[in-house]
Amino acid sequence: MSIASLTKAWQPMSYGFLDASAKRELRRKMLKAIAVPGCQMPYASREVPMARGWGTGGLQVTLTLLKPSSVVKVIDQGADDSVNAASIRSFLSKVSGAAETWDTLAASLIQSRHRIPEERLHAGQILVLQVPNPEPLRPVEPNMSVARQMHADADYGRLWLILYEQIVRSGRIMEGAAYPSVVNGRHVMTPSPIPRWDVPKLHMAQHLTFLSAGREKRLYAVPPFTKVEPLVFSDVPFKVEDHGALTCHRSGVSGFYMNEIPQDNGGSAFELSDSHLGIKAIRKAEGEADRIGATWYRNGQLA
Amino acid sequence: MTALAQSLVPASVPVPDAFEARTNATFEALMWALSRPGTVQTLPAPGMKGLVEALVDRECKVFCDDADLSDFVAFTGAALMPAAAADHAFMGLDRAEGLKNLEQIPVGSALYPDDGATVVAFARFGEGQKLRLTGPGIETSVEITLGGLVPGLWALRAARSRYPAGFDMFFICGTSVIGLPRSTLIEVL
Amino acid sequence: MAYVATRGGARAIDQAERLYRAELGQIDASRVDAVRRALPMLIDRVMGEASLYEPDLAALALAQAGGDLYEAVLLLRAWRTTQPRLAIAEPVRQEQLITHRRISAAFKDIPGGQILGPTLDYAHRLLATDVLQGRPFTPAPVTPAATAAPAYQPSLAAWQKAQGLVADPLRADVAPDAIPDLTREPLLFPAKRAHTLQSLARADTGGMLTLGYAAMRGYGNAHPTVNELRLAEAEVRVTHPRGTVFSAGRVKVSQAEVTSKGKSGQLSLGFCATLGWNEVKVISGATLDLNAAAAPKGSPVEEEFFLYHTEPVEASGFCIHFKLPHYVTFQSSLDALRGAKASAAPQSEQVPS
Repeated sequence: MSIASLTKAWQPMSYGFLDASAKRELRRKMLKAIAVPGCQMPYASREVPMARGWGTGGLQVTLTLLKPSSVVKVIDQGADDSVNAASIRSFLSKVSGAAETWDTLAASLIQSRHRIPEERLHAGQILVLQVPNPEPLRPVEPNMSVARQMHADADYGRLWLILYEQIVRSGRIMEGAAYPSVVNGRHVMTPSPIPRWDVPKLHMAQHLTFLSAGREKRLYAVPPFTKVEPLVFSDVPFKVEDHGALTCHRSGVSGFYMNEIPQDNGGSAFELSDSHLGIKAIRKAEGEADRIGATWYRNGQLA
Repeated sequence: MTALAQSLVPASVPVPDAFEARTNATFEALMWALSRPGTVQTLPAPGMKGLVEALVDRECKVFCDDADLSDFVAFTGAALMPAAAADHAFMGLDRAEGLKNLEQIPVGSALYPDDGATVVAFARFGEGQKLRLTGPGIETSVEITLGGLVPGLWALRAARSRYPAGFDMFFICGTSVIGLPRSTLIEVL
Repeated sequence: MAYVATRGGARAIDQAERLYRAELGQIDASRVDAVRRALPMLIDRVMGEASLYEPDLAALALAQAGGDLYEAVLLLRAWRTTQPRLAIAEPVRQEQLITHRRISAAFKDIPGGQILGPTLDYAHRLLATDVLQGRPFTPAPVTPAATAAPAYQPSLAAWQKAQGLVADPLRADVAPDAIPDLTREPLLFPAKRAHTLQSLARADTGGMLTLGYAAMRGYGNAHPTVNELRLAEAEVRVTHPRGTVFSAGRVKVSQAEVTSKGKSGQLSLGFCATLGWNEVKVISGATLDLNAAAAPKGSPVEEEFFLYHTEPVEASGFCIHFKLPHYVTFQSSLDALRGAKASAAPQSEQVPS
């Protein structure tokens, strides 16, 4: 054995920022997360050059996966050029040499906060969702040790109870985003604060999804072809947001999740939340060659 | 970018060294193998050493029944342990002794499913026992054949699985790898 | 391309960062040096919360963050992430600390003596406004004691243990290089003792004071008496690959032990130590540690509660993350609200004609 075999040349920063030991820990936990879909796996969660709560969990998963041939898309609230998405994307490409894209179809890796793109993800693509609070039981049990025991016992009665109370009180289930869903018939997970519109996109999907909470140090996964079922009662079906009939005032496209823009006249205008889908639609209308992929929703209905 | 911010990031496009490229590719193969149980993924190099490099370090407790590989594992700083205390096991499952070891491998608990170990073994693909797989990662069902494995392996796996407790397996054949996570239901045909 | 025109995130964040950094101006070595020499207490606080002992880097972080403590701690933590682990130092023992200050409120005098050391405890806090009038404040010189206090001081708790006043806590039998490390593994509950102490050492000073103070005021079950407070320097002893143990340098450390009458007829102890000299932090931390044993779930003195909520990088990051857009989730809630409103509305509201 030589000294040289024990050392390596000095670098100002590891490839992809995280050092080999951090990546190995992430890899071990990512494999466990795939093996038990929807089950939160604890990890050390290294500090990265971004504030906690700003996508540090997603960032660690993405940094572990990145290689020079990766093509990376980052969105926040559905938009590629949202300020934090732009910041994360430029960091990712700078530390890895990966190509940047806004196009869902071209991306090998998509890191997202609060949305799943409207175009269907295909086999081979990886979606990394940033998670602020990984614990679906937090509203009924803030103590994490107790919540862990409840997951172990599949003791989800109190979650059903709050849904039932909402129906009694408001005539419907009042959960907004982050709708609790059963994965592989066993673990209830929060799909991260994606709108209900996006939850069915995780069910029996082609792609692999990682969900990672850096601050809370938990990571979980939804492998391809895995059942993801929102908690519902047999006589009260799951309802996505009532956006199917809305039309984007910029692109003229309708039938997708929209941002509501309050207007001076007291009304509202709507625009596509998936900003690059809007760009593609406008380009297409202007005669440019741009391919819009198959979408999960067609004419406002889940296809 | 401001002058300060500019000085904080590497000036040139970073390039992974051979180790980083190899471990990254190895993990990618393992990740897809476990995500799509039964599919054959390709490792950048044959054998188990690549898996050791990609996954194991001084935070790990490793069971290894191969002397040559044990030296390689020890070099990573991982503690060599008996099967009962391992989080990673690189083991022969082509002989009766393999079953005895597998009986000891930690399966974790419902409270901490991540304590269930990762088991790596050699097998021959496309011959031997026919298996039907169902579960996450598989659209309907998939059939594979795995050879060179000790009889009783699948019965023992079934007996020790208490989902979400269980262990996760990788089978290696040259540069090919098949993953069988604990979530996969295996029917011996 | 009408869609993009109103956005332009990449340019906006670049210019916003420039605006912030323009205010701070050029950062050079002399500024960093001035920060390090003028603000040792702040440097200590930042090094403790960053769990990175390097005064020059801490001063650089403070200069680069313009004095924003949470930003400075985050800069240092993120830098620390990239550093290799070269060696694991030997555990530091109390009686090996080079002690500058060691006091006990529990006894009038203690074996080894009360050593006041450097403190402002008994100073009158008068602002030296003369400085602004051009008359510098020059501290009066220190007159050395006739006999210097010994550098090494015994542990008071050791005396109490010998007296049978406190129970010797169960020792976890862990090899020195296998002590659980939070930066390599997650914090889970009930926490390993090493994780608890490491969390307290890295905790936010202000947050620790808030929760510690709540415990002191009565939201805890044990009233603390400062058994021993110590400011010291510790040798960082590491093993050379050839086997020799040597000191790689000294770090400033502070530690506090607080006590109260336990239920078992013995004294209970709470302990906290951190890098750098930071008395408020270690007294608050030791008070929380003292209270943790009997704390009801969900109370501010429960271990899970105070360890999670005093983590400076996580707490501050999550707090400022609320500035990020949340309009997708907000829209989802609006949809539910409007849906409920629509279904609750009476079917017909026409006034009969």
